[in-house]
Amino acid sequence: MVTPAFALYLLVMAFPIVLSIVLSVSNYSGGKMFGGDRWGFAGFGAYARVFTDPWFWNALKNNAYIVLISVFGQLPLGFIFAYFIYAKIVRAPSFWQGVLYVPNIISVIVVGLLWQSIFSPYGPIAELINSIRVGNFEAQLKAIFHAAGGFSLSDDVMKKILDLAGPSGQSMFSNPVPELRDLLTSFQNQPLSAVYSALSNLFVQKWTPAFLTKSDIAMLPVLFVILWMYTGMYLILFLANMQKIDAQIIESARIDGATEGQVMRWIILPSLSGTIVNSAILAISGSLSSFALIFAMTGGGPSRVTEILSIYMYNNAFLGSPNFPLANAISLIMVIISFALIALTKMVERRYGGKED
Amino acid sequence: MPETLRDSAMKRTLGALGKASVYLVMGVFALMTLYPIFWLIMNSFKTTREFQLSQLALPHAPTLKNYSEAWKMGDFGLLFPNSVLYTVGATAGIIFFSLLAGFAFAKLRSRATRPIYNSFIIGILLTTQTLMIPLFLEVNLLGIYNTRLAVLLVYIGAGLPIGIYLSTEFIKAIPSALIESARIDGAGFFKIFLKIIFPMSVPVATTLAMLNITSIWNEFALINILVSKTELKSLPLGIYKFSGSLSTDYGKQFAALTIGMVPMLVFYLIFRKQITKGVAAGAIKG
Repeated sequence: MVTPAFALYLLVMAFPIVLSIVLSVSNYSGGKMFGGDRWGFAGFGAYARVFTDPWFWNALKNNAYIVLISVFGQLPLGFIFAYFIYAKIVRAPSFWQGVLYVPNIISVIVVGLLWQSIFSPYGPIAELINSIRVGNFEAQLKAIFHAAGGFSLSDDVMKKILDLAGPSGQSMFSNPVPELRDLLTSFQNQPLSAVYSALSNLFVQKWTPAFLTKSDIAMLPVLFVILWMYTGMYLILFLANMQKIDAQIIESARIDGATEGQVMRWIILPSLSGTIVNSAILAISGSLSSFALIFAMTGGGPSRVTEILSIYMYNNAFLGSPNFPLANAISLIMVIISFALIALTKMVERRYGGKED
Repeated sequence: MPETLRDSAMKRTLGALGKASVYLVMGVFALMTLYPIFWLIMNSFKTTREFQLSQLALPHAPTLKNYSEAWKMGDFGLLFPNSVLYTVGATAGIIFFSLLAGFAFAKLRSRATRPIYNSFIIGILLTTQTLMIPLFLEVNLLGIYNTRLAVLLVYIGAGLPIGIYLSTEFIKAIPSALIESARIDGAGFFKIFLKIIFPMSVPVATTLAMLNITSIWNEFALINILVSKTELKSLPLGIYKFSGSLSTDYGKQFAALTIGMVPMLVFYLIFRKQITKGVAAGAIKG
């Protein structure tokens, strides 16, 4: 009865691992595996190449960032939110749970492309900031004309407008005051609002943020989206496990005079230590398995800085001329990392692990 | 569900200001969750021109044209049924094989059981995405690249470890006496499975369905390396098409993203409680 499941399991997990071990030390370069070009043992060159490739370390670093944002961002936030709900500090528990979990059920491709648009240089963030700038500028213009008692082309008004426009605005003219007056003469019979919008169009500089196109900060929006997406999942995990704690234990501790901090330190945290370790494991395996979000959001760019291991592997196999030994070596390294980290977390759990059943 | 706290000391000592700031923090987070989704759906009703003029304003003259065009350009008429097939087929497969194996692990003792069970448990920690490249080479080797079979096999295989773990734990709790008396009545193992275990396992089957339906529907990394023919692709692959050269055609891109998002949102609205329960159950000890 186990046979069909086990056969499928071997097909999808065990055999690929074996295949990656074999191919990572071979010179296989695509095409038919049997009956095509001959290929054979080629030594451990692929591993040497991986470890000397700075892009491997870059990708590994990004994976580490993802783990860090999970462990120090999603976990604490999820825990705090769960506690707010658990301790009934906020009402409507299912509303908060329901809303904060929503990003988890949306396809990561949709999430990636959605945030790509939001962080775009011409996206809604830029539009919002620019409209605030325009609003400020026009409010100040309004004050200038108001002080002058309506529309005016006096030297004083022209100077004030040019002051407002700043050096970059002034540099548009060779002889600022008369030229600006010429420009505004045509507005004499129009409503002031037309003057405001014409001047703000001319002088307010458009902000085009480079969130995803500047290589030294491109990873930050990616990490933000990961935080945005998965905090709700940890919230649900923590809340479900907090609700498993026997409420009577807490009640009796309170009757004995325990403070809220003591209840947290001696009852809630120890009961959740297993869940916390689990969540850390989830964060690590989640980081190693994440692919589509970054693939859709940045494609690993700009100039490869947001590549993670899975994308680094994918690009080595499918971009340009395929390097299958290298890609398989990366695959195997990822498998080994996940086993090593998991073994480590289990050791930590054994040593500091709590009383969770 | 056990009784939760009636009234915490924290709540009493926090005061109005503290409570207000808790609401503020959570409110901001909730708004940050919902607004981008609202923004996406709202802009899917604008023409690209109107979008470029203002992305924050509500649409002047909402249009459905983006949807009909995105549907055609993305071949969603082909991809939608595929997504349904992969999701339903693989989820059903995972549930069936998990319960079958779970029954064996929980109730039938044999020397081989333990190591095989442990190997499945290891599989929970291993994510199939890390094996993307060898899997790609494997399906080529087996001659099943670009087939629905490969997609289903890989999805089922990837979902089995957690499925088997949860099924085994669940079936362990079914009284062995029930199985024994059925055996005395002359029922074979398969009949016992169908008549007793299967009907009693509806709760764990529901959990597995919730876990797998959302994840398979949204899956991208694996199917991306398993098929390249349009008629075999799933929705996420079709939506990804709108990222490249089509990405400046915002109206259509947003319509495509909404098409990709709405089925699961509806599913979530209907089954929120079960999904939440499934997530809590699915994230188990490694």
